[in-house]
Amino acid sequence: MTVREIMWTWFYKLASPPYVYGASAALAPWALGGAALAMGYGLIAGLAIAPPDYQQGEAVRMIYVHVPSAMLSLTVYTLMAAASAVALIWRIKVGHAVAAASAPIGASFTILALVTGSLWGRPMWGTYWAWDPRLTSELILLFLYVGVMSLRLAFEDPSRGDRAAALLAIVGVVNVPIVHFSVVWWNSLHQGATIVRLGAPKMPGSMLWPLLSMWLGFMLFFAAVLCIRLQGEVLNRERQSTWVREAVKS
Amino acid sequence: MNVGLLEAFALIVRRELCLSFRRPDQLLQPLVFFLIVTTLFPLGLNLQLSLLRDMSPGVLWVAALLSSLLSLDSLFKSDADDGTLEQLALCGQDLTVIVVAKTFAHWLVSGAALVLVSPVVGTALGIPTEAFLTMMLSLTLGTLTLSWLGAIGAGLTVGLKRGNVLLSLIVLPLAMPLLIFGAGATDRAISGTSSAGALYFLAALCVFTCTLAPFAATTALRITLE
Amino acid sequence: MMSSSFWVMGGYARYVWPCYAFACVVLAWNLWSARRFRGAAQVRARRAAEMAMAAGGEP
Repeated sequence: MTVREIMWTWFYKLASPPYVYGASAALAPWALGGAALAMGYGLIAGLAIAPPDYQQGEAVRMIYVHVPSAMLSLTVYTLMAAASAVALIWRIKVGHAVAAASAPIGASFTILALVTGSLWGRPMWGTYWAWDPRLTSELILLFLYVGVMSLRLAFEDPSRGDRAAALLAIVGVVNVPIVHFSVVWWNSLHQGATIVRLGAPKMPGSMLWPLLSMWLGFMLFFAAVLCIRLQGEVLNRERQSTWVREAVKS
Repeated sequence: MNVGLLEAFALIVRRELCLSFRRPDQLLQPLVFFLIVTTLFPLGLNLQLSLLRDMSPGVLWVAALLSSLLSLDSLFKSDADDGTLEQLALCGQDLTVIVVAKTFAHWLVSGAALVLVSPVVGTALGIPTEAFLTMMLSLTLGTLTLSWLGAIGAGLTVGLKRGNVLLSLIVLPLAMPLLIFGAGATDRAISGTSSAGALYFLAALCVFTCTLAPFAATTALRITLE
Repeated sequence: MMSSSFWVMGGYARYVWPCYAFACVVLAWNLWSARRFRGAAQVRARRAAEMAMAAGGEP
């Protein structure tokens, strides 16, 4: 088979609920193990080995949870919107399952980012909260997550609920670039972009590597939890199919 | 009978306006709500007029937002209840044209009415008359954008029990940037600095929403009508 | 094991450690909630399979 054929077969497999169910079951423990390793290294290197910051002292250590959770909150929303678009445009039902599974995880990461940011803001800026563009748009992101989850639950017909929530997720994705570029477009209290920018990251290696490792750990953790939730979502949507009857007999 | 796009648009707008004016009480309710909510702030905060002026753009905009949300529920609901919406979807005209016509007519009786009433409210809140033009311009752009965001929300929640609470939950986060820039523009006009930047941003938001929202709202209706 | 200065975190301990504690809570909640969700879905699917067997008598 050519590379192109292999890629398309894999893509078709991804649209098949039984394949996704099996693949998620197999992938979850590996992703969880990888997450533990990455987070383990990140925490040890970040908390114990990396030196304190010149200006912020030991408080900078909060970066190792705050930044990964904030990056995840945006990534997960984008994934949710992309899966929703795939589901709406090409009518691939698995997309709805992925979107439904991602939403609560993404919302929890958004809350984590807001809370850790607030705890970091108190010693650094003197306040637990400020109505600044970055913080406000991240809060709006949380409201959008809640809106998508509520809309899905409001419909009696689950497939209609899926499609309505999918549309809302796509409409709300406008907020993601706003959150990211808010520190560029406006005078923000929040620090500017240090990693995801054109050019080299503006951070020393001793801090950058643990941070990237924590980010990787969070991503792998999200993948693991997504796989577990996805199994549940696929089962709920495909309950009447014969493959499900075989799968739950064991 | 072949009805052209513009003719269909005009017919629907006329129909909506006729129906709205047949129930003048329903027309006036959001306006009265607007007036009452703006009154609540000075009463609750017990401020002198000069201090109230500092808060007035925010108060005005929050009140406009909330009263627009009240009237959004009626955008599709009565037509959905008696089956007209399905007939409109099946009639052969592009559903987007119908949605644009309905939303525009809705804006005329809610948002535009709000803009006309705003000088009264502005005076009550202590906004100087020099700032009125900016205030009304920002409200025009803002209520137009809000009608479109609301159309998406209304399309998604039409036919749901307790849909209007969910409608607010959906529309308000999307409307927050609007609030920030709309209040910001009026605020700058009051303090005398140039509000051009905020107004340009509002206009950009308006254009962005008015071009893309019709398609989102039509898709939303198709999802709920199926 | 680790010196007391580590736990003090240069005076910022009352911000840093609650931060990490909350992160642990969120991560744990995610795992627990996902497992619970999957378990409930499996129970419902099993029940549906049993009803289908009882009704149609086919495996």
